[in-house]
Amino acid sequence: MSKYSDELTYGFTGQVAPPVRETRIGVCSAYCGACDELIADVQSGCAQLQGRRFAQSGGCQLMLAVGIVSSLTNVVVIVHSPLGCCSGFVGSGGLRKTMRASKGKREEEFVWLHTNLDEMDVVRGGLDKLREAVLYAEREYHPDAIIIANGCVPGIIGDDIDSLVTELGGRISAKLVPIHCEGFKSRYVASGYDSAYHGVLRHLVEPLVKYERAIPDEKQETLDRYRISRTVNIFNVGSNSNGDEVELSRIVSALGLIPRVLPLHASLDDLARIGEAALNVSVCATHDDYLLGHLKERFGTPYIIDTLPIGIRSTNLWLLRIAEFFGLEAEAERVIKLENDQLNAALEPFRRELRGKSVYVGGGETRILTTASFFAEDLGMDVVGVKAHNVDRFVEEIMEELEDPRLEITVAAGQPAEELNVLARLRPDLYCGHVGANGWVSRLGIPNLPLFGQALNYMGYTGAYELARKASKALKNTNFVKNISRGVKLPLSAEWLARDTKLNIKETEAV
Amino acid sequence: MSTSTFIERAKFSCALGGALTTLAGLPRTVPIVHAAGGCAASLSGAYNTAAGYRGVGYCGGNMIPTSNIAENNIVFGGEDRLAEQIENTLLAMDGDLYVVVTGCQVEIIGDDAVGIARRFSDRNVIGVSSPGFLGNTLAGYDAVMSSIVDNVVAPSPVKDTRTVNIFGVVPGHDVFYRGNLDELARLLGRVGVKANTFFGTGESIEKIRGCGAASLSIVLSPKTGVKPAGRLREKTGAPYILSEIPIGPSGSADFLRQIGGALGVDPRLVEDVIADETEYYYSYLERIVDIYSDIDFQRYAIVAADSYYAHAYTRFLANDLGWIPHLTAINDIDDPEEQAEYLKRFGDITSETRPAVVFERNAGQLLRHVRDSRARNRNEKYYDALSPAYVVGTGIERSLADKLGAGFLAAAFPVSNRVVLHRGYAGWRGALSFVEDLITNLVAAR
Repeated sequence: MSKYSDELTYGFTGQVAPPVRETRIGVCSAYCGACDELIADVQSGCAQLQGRRFAQSGGCQLMLAVGIVSSLTNVVVIVHSPLGCCSGFVGSGGLRKTMRASKGKREEEFVWLHTNLDEMDVVRGGLDKLREAVLYAEREYHPDAIIIANGCVPGIIGDDIDSLVTELGGRISAKLVPIHCEGFKSRYVASGYDSAYHGVLRHLVEPLVKYERAIPDEKQETLDRYRISRTVNIFNVGSNSNGDEVELSRIVSALGLIPRVLPLHASLDDLARIGEAALNVSVCATHDDYLLGHLKERFGTPYIIDTLPIGIRSTNLWLLRIAEFFGLEAEAERVIKLENDQLNAALEPFRRELRGKSVYVGGGETRILTTASFFAEDLGMDVVGVKAHNVDRFVEEIMEELEDPRLEITVAAGQPAEELNVLARLRPDLYCGHVGANGWVSRLGIPNLPLFGQALNYMGYTGAYELARKASKALKNTNFVKNISRGVKLPLSAEWLARDTKLNIKETEAV
Repeated sequence: MSTSTFIERAKFSCALGGALTTLAGLPRTVPIVHAAGGCAASLSGAYNTAAGYRGVGYCGGNMIPTSNIAENNIVFGGEDRLAEQIENTLLAMDGDLYVVVTGCQVEIIGDDAVGIARRFSDRNVIGVSSPGFLGNTLAGYDAVMSSIVDNVVAPSPVKDTRTVNIFGVVPGHDVFYRGNLDELARLLGRVGVKANTFFGTGESIEKIRGCGAASLSIVLSPKTGVKPAGRLREKTGAPYILSEIPIGPSGSADFLRQIGGALGVDPRLVEDVIADETEYYYSYLERIVDIYSDIDFQRYAIVAADSYYAHAYTRFLANDLGWIPHLTAINDIDDPEEQAEYLKRFGDITSETRPAVVFERNAGQLLRHVRDSRARNRNEKYYDALSPAYVVGTGIERSLADKLGAGFLAAAFPVSNRVVLHRGYAGWRGALSFVEDLITNLVAAR
């Protein structure tokens, strides 16, 4: 179990809104140096004080929060804001059907509303519009829950959405879930996950009320107790695919345990039973330490927040930690040996193709470090650098175990200008990055592949194989990026591309 | 006094989104967003995926320079941070025009972003106030284009009597904006008129500076474009006329006659071009006459779009293609007077059946309007069903089409189920693409 999460406390559900991550765990959002320097600077607190002179747009915690709660079954989302916040739903709303279908869930049309705040509402408040929207959602769609995502405008002018929730709570059958995820409140956008789970924990996780049976059924009760004692909750994330969930469930099942994947795409009934598990397991600390910490305090369910199961070593470690909890180490060793032997044999042709090729990885801190380790350790590639959105203390252990402690790292959420400046110098053979980065890397002429994909398998043993297959495929024909780099211009000045990346970093409050 | 209410599944983003998608359509233009860190990339992202995969453009998405203000700026102000950001953007980014646009947060706290931008005016920086709460996408287009007119377009003492400016075509919000503008410029070129399109092929900031020489502005949207065209009239004296995006033979002929008439173009030239384009159109349309007739491709048309496209599509489907205009729903006109004005456009529908026209902002209510448009089926043995039907709408109407068992084409924002590159539906040639897309969906299973 991560030493770091044990230092944290999670008793925040009495508050309307959770603390942002800047105050709860501290975060570095701008850095340029080597991994070992970064760890030292994070531990001393210096790294958290770095900002940048030239900044570009990144994420918004509202988007991340809504991404979590909008996935729940039979919910309507109300975005309490002007029309722009979450307007990306017009492009992504249709994906709900395919996403649910991929998980074998009933097809659902995604319904969202905007309170459409305007200049008058800025002056007089937007609660009347929100009330109308809630009643409309209830009347037209009868959802299990109505999620209210609070944007910057009501956050700044001080709309008291919680009092409205109290007012309407008794009048409608849907559960009302206010989510306090105003974008301006946190530059560490993963705060949005905490905002989302805060709302879920306060308003949706209501354990089933059980009554004593008139005629006790001891056999059934024993079976229930046994089931719960073997159940492992695997906490999914927005960036994983159904293939990832199937694979992680497969290897947990191989230990004789009962995997259950939560909370994305879950129904309210699923959430009511979230406490019926022996162990909660994270696949990414950035996503769910807040949720798992709370569940431990509330239901006493122990948790494991360790590594992200990408690549052979991380997947072995992830599985072993689970096995250790249940005293199944010997079983795990056998599973791991079998899986590793099979996978290593299957990876051999890709190793021959990829060995010695240079690669750069950018994206979320846990995912890039585990992915980079897989490229280096299992495929023999030359990792020339990594870029993390943010760095906090959850990845200390992973960074300390890196083959090359002097590995070059920049910390920047998005910030493609900085990243392209680095890549123009390093010119790796292959780039693997987060959504939003790859298009720029293509324009620079570097072959690339996405760091994650909701339709692709990255996690577990099969995910490692798929990742190797994708890396190899990207290098089978690199003409697309060559042509694009010749035909499409980047907006960056020659002066910028030639200068030292470090010059953009300054000592300040984070920007 | 505002009368606005909530909107279910709005087919617009906010004013800042409209500003950014407009800037993404301008050549070599770099936005500088004074707002919280997430606004720019997420708004730009909406147009990346929902405008037929239009992409983020030259300097869009997470490339957009942003002051990235946070809670401390809400308390202490963000003007210094903006000035630093502008200075460094000029160093890092290569552009012909830099446009500071603002988000809700900084406008509520009262930062003077436009004033800060003015300090950099000698380095091609302009400022536009564009907070989300100003209105929808179209408000952002108006704000940016008005500022372009005020600050970029040079007043020209000499008028070119054969040059026009086109307003009201919002890049990205009109998913086909570039294909449409190129076709309009081609058609106008055939009658000797040069069109400044701002966003079409071959445009540049330098050319936009010269737009003041135009003698007429054409506004193609009832909801946007009048403001910048009006500002230009104040600045250069060039009047504007209201028109409509022309789709197909009848709309395009009217368009050329209207513009030709306003500019005093020889009517014989206009009629020759109309005849020639019409002949071209039918020489291709002929191809589908057989399959259309043999297996009956006439459809009940349900059109759901904004006011820019709703009448234009309905008119083409009814007057040119011969479909039955059953129901047209317009999602962006709330004012009763504006509604009455827009309804008048449907006076030119020549089909025997006239369409029901509704103004409905909530996407989920469309199904109710369709159901209310006919007597319900009460399990009668003989029932005159709304079938075969075809929904020409936005991507959001796909589920409506599914429920109706109707054909479906996403033809207005948002469009995320197909890729749009140089395709446009304007003019005679655009209408051929439109028919290709409509009918392709009817034969796709073969």
